[in-house]
Amino acid sequence: MSSDNVTIHHGEEINNSTGVSNKKLLMWAFLGSDVMFFGTFIGTFMAYRNKSLNGPYPADTLDIPITTVSTFVLLMSSLGIVLALHYLKESKMGLAKFWLFAVIVMGLTFMGFQVYEFSHFAHIGMTPQVNLFGSTFFTLTSLHGAHVSLGIIWLIFLLYNEFNGNLTSDNAVDLEIAGLYWHFVDIVWILIFGLLYLITAGDGVPPGGIPWEAAH
Amino acid sequence: MSLLKDLFHHNGNGWWKIPKTSEAEANPQNEHPFGSLVQKTKDFLVWITSGKGHAGPTYYWVIAAILGIITIVEVWWFDQEGLRYILVPAMLGFSLIKFSLVVAFFMHLRFDHKLFSYVFVTCMVIGIFIFSLFILLSAFHGFGG
Repeated sequence: MSSDNVTIHHGEEINNSTGVSNKKLLMWAFLGSDVMFFGTFIGTFMAYRNKSLNGPYPADTLDIPITTVSTFVLLMSSLGIVLALHYLKESKMGLAKFWLFAVIVMGLTFMGFQVYEFSHFAHIGMTPQVNLFGSTFFTLTSLHGAHVSLGIIWLIFLLYNEFNGNLTSDNAVDLEIAGLYWHFVDIVWILIFGLLYLITAGDGVPPGGIPWEAAH
Repeated sequence: MSLLKDLFHHNGNGWWKIPKTSEAEANPQNEHPFGSLVQKTKDFLVWITSGKGHAGPTYYWVIAAILGIITIVEVWWFDQEGLRYILVPAMLGFSLIKFSLVVAFFMHLRFDHKLFSYVFVTCMVIGIFIFSLFILLSAFHGFGG
């Protein structure tokens, strides 16, 4: 193992055999495990597609225009965090704080859309226990929502540290790993929006299924 | 004209002329139907995605604009009855492009240490394998039907 210390461009000292930041490596390993985790749930959702024999079906519930807006908000929050990190590394603290705050607001907006969507679904009778579509949909989107919520709490702590002067260009790697996590929840949503919403939104009553309206 | 030359005109010696080389000589460069076009395209892609070593705010805005445009195209595609028959491969393709853009540029995997790419891509391959296994099991055994 090399005993040489290497200092990377944003101040973190590296003293291990890999030559990379331990914090970043750990985050990438965690994100790798989370890819497998979400891969399983997305796979399950797709495997059970069109297998519900009673409604409500995706065509009865999913609202693409609303989800498109929330998807756009989450995509732009990814831009926000990468800008916050860029300005933090350049010690432009005003801009760094502005963009970090904007990301938190966009994250909360996304969660607001999800709360609205879930309450609307519950109101029309789509719950996790009603059919296979409901079970797999709520499991996947709730897990993603939990990830987003955790990310928002993490970013609020970082913004607090930024205002206290505890987050500067010297320890920008702390915001960088939070940013990696935030981008990850964004890419998971990219897959959910494409595979779960857009592909299945047109799915109506499958062969042998009971039409939802008739069942009520 | 230069494309035609790249395709059919060998080293300015004449159209359709096959170069005379011996086994002892090194292989001639770009000796394939597309001439230097492939190399030029490769060089351009490397240049355009390098962000000059470290991407800046303008670069990130451009990536975000591309992501936004792809999302609009996705929703437009979804709305076209005539394109429904290829909705699944199209959405998979669009999602893959957006996924790659965020991972490569926003998550800096394009500019960062290769070790991070190895860790993430290895796990992603396993994730895709699990995903494919579920789909195949569903297709051949129809569980849950």
